Amino acid sequence: MTGNLFLNMLFHPSKVFEDLSDENADTMAVIRRYSLLIMLLPPIFSWLGGSQLGWRLGGSEPVFFDTTGSIVFSFFYFFILCVGFLGTVTISKWMATTYGAKISLSLHLCLFTVICTPLVTASLAHLYPDVFFNALVLVPALIWSTTLLYKGLPVALGISPEQGLLMGSSLVAWLLVAAVSLLGLCVSLWTHGAGTLLGL
Amino acid sequence: MKQDSQQFYDDDIVTRLVQFSLLWAVVAMFVGVYLSAELLWPDLDFGQFWLSFGRLRPLHTNGIIFGFGISALMATAFYSVQRTSHAPLFMPKLAWFVAYAWQVVVLLGGLSLLAGWTSSKEYAELEWPFDIAITLLWVCFGLVFFGTIARRKIKPIYISNWFYGGLIIVIAMLHIVNNLALPVSIDKSYSLYAGAQDAVVQWWYGHNAVGFLLTGGFLGMMYYFLPKITGQAIWSYRLSVVAFWAFTYSYIWAGPHHLHFNSIPDWVQSLAMVMSLILLAPSWATMINGIMTVSKSSAKLHNNPALKFIVLSLAFYGLATFEGPMMAIKSVNVVSHFTDWTIGHVHSGALGWNAMITYGVFYYLVPRLAGRELHSLRLANIHFWMALSGTLLYILSMWAAGVSQGLLWLSIDGLGQLSYSFNDVMASMKPYYGLRLVAGMIFLSGTLLMTFNLLMTLKGQPSVKVRPPAVATSSGVTV
Repeated sequence: MTGNLFLNMLFHPSKVFEDLSDENADTMAVIRRYSLLIMLLPPIFSWLGGSQLGWRLGGSEPVFFDTTGSIVFSFFYFFILCVGFLGTVTISKWMATTYGAKISLSLHLCLFTVICTPLVTASLAHLYPDVFFNALVLVPALIWSTTLLYKGLPVALGISPEQGLLMGSSLVAWLLVAAVSLLGLCVSLWTHGAGTLLGL
Repeated sequence: MKQDSQQFYDDDIVTRLVQFSLLWAVVAMFVGVYLSAELLWPDLDFGQFWLSFGRLRPLHTNGIIFGFGISALMATAFYSVQRTSHAPLFMPKLAWFVAYAWQVVVLLGGLSLLAGWTSSKEYAELEWPFDIAITLLWVCFGLVFFGTIARRKIKPIYISNWFYGGLIIVIAMLHIVNNLALPVSIDKSYSLYAGAQDAVVQWWYGHNAVGFLLTGGFLGMMYYFLPKITGQAIWSYRLSVVAFWAFTYSYIWAGPHHLHFNSIPDWVQSLAMVMSLILLAPSWATMINGIMTVSKSSAKLHNNPALKFIVLSLAFYGLATFEGPMMAIKSVNVVSHFTDWTIGHVHSGALGWNAMITYGVFYYLVPRLAGRELHSLRLANIHFWMALSGTLLYILSMWAAGVSQGLLWLSIDGLGQLSYSFNDVMASMKPYYGLRLVAGMIFLSGTLLMTFNLLMTLKGQPSVKVRPPAVATSSGVTV
């Protein structure tokens, strides 16, 4: 766990996974220094972009949020990210029992901090809040994070690559379901009057 | 007359149906990619009616469902029913007839769609001569399948056969009822139902075709091949039987959720919504059963592309069967209906579940039919990552496009007028359609790799001859 951990998480994740597999790894240091920090990045970028440039949803005029609206939006964004992150860590810890992996909570927190680092770094795209531009940047980052999930699980949790692939696919299922649930929740809130004005 | 144990299983038919399925997968997926390109560049129809979106789209869906899907289901049903019954196929010549005649119907039916023959019913576009031919062939398929079960040497009927049997019976019922029509010429008929009744019958058919063919039929595949590949019995056999009956009971009610906010009674829509939500329980019971079966298998995954595909297909099955009920909730549906979110949902099922489980089963089946190792393990592994990335990119681009469309179409200004015109919204979709085109090309390329790999595995090899086990005890436990 030496050197610039953030850069290692981005460019040498395999080394970080190997370090994490060490029984004496200082996982708490990763959690203290990075886990919370990376959860803060997307909402901050989103707040800056949304309040300064306005979101382009594909229509002609960008949609601006007022100061209160953008702060509330960013706060909920942060809240949802934390719930999603902690939910995924909890599910991963729960699945670890089935697949014979290490079940230390701090290890799972660390592991998912590394896995989602490319995704939160790509949230820099929120500074230019155009939906397509964000999709263009975030989708490859998501695929990168998915690859890290499959590669990192067996190394960090001390299981065979086969079990890693099974556990990884189960977690992909959970993540897809969580993502579509979030989409459904947002749409339901919009149709019940929260957010943008809809002609319903 | 020879005893069954002295005969061989009829696996040549299975091999041929796998080859037909591969052919239709490539053709129908290529048409899908071409269609997605047409949405970006409409001039790609070159002014030809037969290349227009309206004619190619049903060719894509019918090619996938009737060509790729049903050929794969017939192949796996014929393979598994023999092994779970310890008996060769009943009336093998009829099975051969079904295998070839089905391809002729798909080919001619596809050409008729290009010529503009259509009943205008989604997934049931083929006109009455093809409907009659499909009915007759389906009855023959059922005769071979149930005839084989009737001559089984094992008392219990294994769960995969319940799902395949459900597929055959329910699809026959749906197909006949939905296609009742009055022919006025060789290429035109009019439905016996009118207006909203026609819509309700159509989506009773449409949704249950998804249910009993694309879900139930492929679950039959899973229940036979997953235990074979993992070497583990199903995690809970009791759960599989309970899930089968719960699935059969609840699916049949859910069709009208395709008609939310349309001119059918509100209570019918609400009932469909509630039954769609209930449907989540049996769907996920099956997914959990599959995942728990796999989780007990530790050392089987190494160099085993079949299991990788099947595990991933279960993940997408979980997504699709969660997303469907969620989209049936009226407050979600009001935004998602008529948008590309629906297209994304359909493809999370079609690519992620149906195609991937079929690919996994083919990677298991073909080397066994040919009696040799897979031609290239490396190609199969490349295919796995192409299928995963293609499917993810497809779903994500359609989620983004669909939610944008739903919100922009419904957005109003302070005066209550629509904020965006339909043209503006559709023009802004081009980038997403570009991503979808790339996703489709990745998935199709992976399918081409697999087709090459499997055909090379089969090349020059006659099907391996396998005899049914010689002895079966009266308790049903084979020795």
